Amino acid sequence: MKTFTMALSLFLISSISFAQTSEVKNTYFCQDELGAIPIRQGGRVKPLYVHANELIKFLTGKNRYQNLSGVQTYCLLSLQGLDLANNIELTARVDHIDAQKFLELPTGQKTIAIKDLVEELPSLQREVRKQKIKDSKTKALQTLLNQAALYREITSGQNWVLPAMTNDRVDWIPVTAFLREDKIVAAKELSKTPFLKVINDEVQKYEELKGTNHLLEYRFVRAKLPVVSMILTLLALAALTLFKRFTWCLSFSALTLFTQLALIIIRILISGRAPITNMYETVMFSGFGALLLSLIVGHLKKEKVYVYMGLMYNACTLMMMNFATGMLSESISPLVPVLRDNFWLSTHVTTIIMSYGALALSWILANTVLFKKKFSGLSIADENYYSDHIYTTLKCGTIMLGAGIILGGVWADYSWGRFWGWDPKETWSLIAFIIYMAILHGRYTSWIPTKRFIALVAGAFMSIMMAWFGVNYILASGLHSYGFSEGGALFLGSFFLVQTSFIILTTTGKQKLLKTSEIVG
Amino acid sequence: MKKISINKIEKTIGGLKFAVILLSLFATFMIVGTFFESYFGTDFANRTVYKTWPFMILQFGMFLSIIFAAFLRLPPKKRLYGFYTIHSGLITIGCGSFMTYYAGVDGSLVLPPNSPSREVILNEDILKIRFPDEGRVVSFKLPYTGFATDIGETYQDIELRRYFPFADKIFNWLPSKRSYQGSEPLHSSRYTIANQMVSQDFTLSLHPETIDFQSNLTLGPLTIHYLPSSLAKCFGENNPSKLILWDRTKALCYTPEEKNILIKKAESGNRFLVVDNNGERLSFFPDVSPWPLGNDMKVMRGAQLRIFSKKLFEEKPNLFLFGETTAFYNKDEEKWFSKPLKQGSPLEVPWMGFELVLDEHKYDLVPTLLPTKILPIQKNNEMIKGGTRALELVVQNQSYWVTNETPVQLLINGKKVVFYLQKESLTLPFEFVLTQFEMKKDPGTNRAASYESFVRLFTEKGPEDHHVFMNNPLKHQGFTFYQASYSQDRQGNYSSTLSVNVDPGRPFKYAGSLMLVFGSMWHYWLNYRKKKKPKITPLV
Repeated sequence: MKTFTMALSLFLISSISFAQTSEVKNTYFCQDELGAIPIRQGGRVKPLYVHANELIKFLTGKNRYQNLSGVQTYCLLSLQGLDLANNIELTARVDHIDAQKFLELPTGQKTIAIKDLVEELPSLQREVRKQKIKDSKTKALQTLLNQAALYREITSGQNWVLPAMTNDRVDWIPVTAFLREDKIVAAKELSKTPFLKVINDEVQKYEELKGTNHLLEYRFVRAKLPVVSMILTLLALAALTLFKRFTWCLSFSALTLFTQLALIIIRILISGRAPITNMYETVMFSGFGALLLSLIVGHLKKEKVYVYMGLMYNACTLMMMNFATGMLSESISPLVPVLRDNFWLSTHVTTIIMSYGALALSWILANTVLFKKKFSGLSIADENYYSDHIYTTLKCGTIMLGAGIILGGVWADYSWGRFWGWDPKETWSLIAFIIYMAILHGRYTSWIPTKRFIALVAGAFMSIMMAWFGVNYILASGLHSYGFSEGGALFLGSFFLVQTSFIILTTTGKQKLLKTSEIVG
Repeated sequence: MKKISINKIEKTIGGLKFAVILLSLFATFMIVGTFFESYFGTDFANRTVYKTWPFMILQFGMFLSIIFAAFLRLPPKKRLYGFYTIHSGLITIGCGSFMTYYAGVDGSLVLPPNSPSREVILNEDILKIRFPDEGRVVSFKLPYTGFATDIGETYQDIELRRYFPFADKIFNWLPSKRSYQGSEPLHSSRYTIANQMVSQDFTLSLHPETIDFQSNLTLGPLTIHYLPSSLAKCFGENNPSKLILWDRTKALCYTPEEKNILIKKAESGNRFLVVDNNGERLSFFPDVSPWPLGNDMKVMRGAQLRIFSKKLFEEKPNLFLFGETTAFYNKDEEKWFSKPLKQGSPLEVPWMGFELVLDEHKYDLVPTLLPTKILPIQKNNEMIKGGTRALELVVQNQSYWVTNETPVQLLINGKKVVFYLQKESLTLPFEFVLTQFEMKKDPGTNRAASYESFVRLFTEKGPEDHHVFMNNPLKHQGFTFYQASYSQDRQGNYSSTLSVNVDPGRPFKYAGSLMLVFGSMWHYWLNYRKKKKPKITPLV
């Protein structure tokens, strides 16, 4: 084996046609094209591109390493398991101060070479095992432990598994066992790139038997549809607000919807289920649903402000999807058993998420009215007019929320044997529903005046955010363990703070109240 | 005058302000409930918020408010048809929920593999007192509370003093409740065994009153035996036969070599020896049993004399502890060692770099895990503190703690009485057997993709086979069985847990829900009026 490895190294070094001259020079056969081959990890088959990027990002916080792409880095690290050396030195972030102390990092240093972390594995394991209650330090150490263990698995060549075909059977075997000496020697006779030939031949057999669903995902991920949708939404918003070109705005909005629809449909094709099973997907779906709803209602009511609401909210969700990647993970994972029911997923969750979208429209409009009123002035007639539109979206949202809660109850009854169980998610949905019901009743009976109604609607959305994100990011982790270092809690805390401050700022002090004649004039 | 005041009450209860106050209170309770659940767990939140009287009265208040709000708007007006439907829907849901609360069953059924089961475990805590001699069982319902509660009830000579629904067990040394003869071994010790990788502390006891600790323990491949201190001296002796005789009543040990007792070999190849014990001839087969055979050649379990063959403990790691002395066999040196243990100083033992430390040694105190009331802690849907329920009993001026983990057995006026702290249960009118449990996994991982129970149901018509899995419950005689969870024993056999439910309010809740949703749509449809667009300031 040793002679084989040496011969292999020599051969590879001498035959590198695509060696690069930057930091990591020797890339062996690790090309970006390898991203298209399938790998079975995390309970499903996906393209190596997705797996490699997710892992390198988990290890380092970035998708790349110096001049290397995620795929190249992953491939080269895996080749270390075949004794093919390289000088890749990945570093992991250590943000938690107690974790820095535990690893005895010099003051100010917030990174550690993962190689060093692997040496700390036993002591990390001991420390994590010692803690019965998982506080933020233990969580940080657990993450480092997972990173070190994963790095060890990758560099031993055990993480990269490839399909080995025997008649109709697929065995997923590690790259170290896959690249057998006899296969490489045989391939060397036929090709200048024997390693790639061995891999590609086997992958071809796999695709003939099992299909090319992973290629769909490969193309889908590379198309970066969330980025495209975000740009289109921002263009539509700019056309509406800056350039006052409504036709352009509608065209861009239609393109956004089309792109988002493609995004949703392809995710369905890849995962084989309704795309509403994690935070990323619910955010995506609520933005899309809200834009679609606002375009329909706007068309029926012949009112541009709905288009504005839909685009603004969609832009918010798309920015979260593209920038808040630590909080919202776009990876597609298999579902927990209880969620494996497409009928209930696509009825209950869709209704709830659509209701969040509709209520988000009322939140956007309420905040815009508050802002306008404070800083550029609105008349009482304007306030009344816009509050009617807020009321419309509120009615839609609340009915859908009520229906969604009931559908959830029916599903819970069907799969857990109880209609209602005071689970935090259902309880917070009910709290949000009750808050909106109170506002609707108050408005219906004119008990709540318009001015207060708008501020209340802006504030009430915090209950939706609590039901949507808070239950997962604050309540699920328990109050004494969450620190503001965790993305979700930080996001939500900031949201509550900004929203509350904004309401106080815009409803207190002097308001710019205009007479109708001043506006028209 | 009377009519006016009724009208006033009707208007107040059916009024919006009353409704908004109730809704705000309702929301506040729920917010507190969700935070309680996050901190302290689902059970605690149910006991302190969701299933308490104030919260139920609040729900009843909302129920009244909904009815009165509808009454106030009679006689019917077309514009309010939707409104009437919504309110009728809410009232119907309320009735359904009350029926579920009053007549529903919500429990769980544990199905061990291939053994029949029909006991459904419910949520209420009870104390069961069993009198085995009389064949009688008495049950007491314990309060459904989240905090420590004084009960103060008495049954015959038994006082039920305090109940802790959430408790932690804190170690304590307590004085003996009875007096003992001088020769009886009563000592108990606490030790720590550790190497670089792991550390484990443990308590061993010979005291007859301890219920929380035993005299032997298994830690992975290592077996620990805790024996009377008077046996220690013989374990250190490397006598050729490796046999030790132990006189229980005199608390004495000796070797056959010491007393010149001849060791012979039986035809089967096993060693045997005959000991004269005050005229009684006792035959021992030390490689087979520690107990002797009497004159009648019957095994005398519990005899005054017993024998140890140290040979039996040489192959696998066995550690003998005698309080302040330890003995073990060192395979490398092929020798038995007996070493004194000093409190706090580590002693090396010959397995995987382990060191043994004696932490505490007491001659006649009882090591006890005393329940202490605490607030429970839940993390990731798992209770990590406060999982013990404990009830303090007072019998003949002595206090005893019964927990859900350990029943207590007492002799009261010469009669055996056993106390169990458990959940109320319900016996199903039919029997279940788990014939197979299947857990499918996501390919290439250990993550469960589905749990499936194959059960056989024994009904009057004969056995029926059913398949229960997530989102596919089994309905039978008004009961519904859902796949809830599973567990696996050391041999790898799966047990399945089904949740069992009877909900007479179900049709009402469904009907009410439909009325609520369609009523809302109808209401807005009937009240939709197209408004003329005024001249306004464009927002965008």
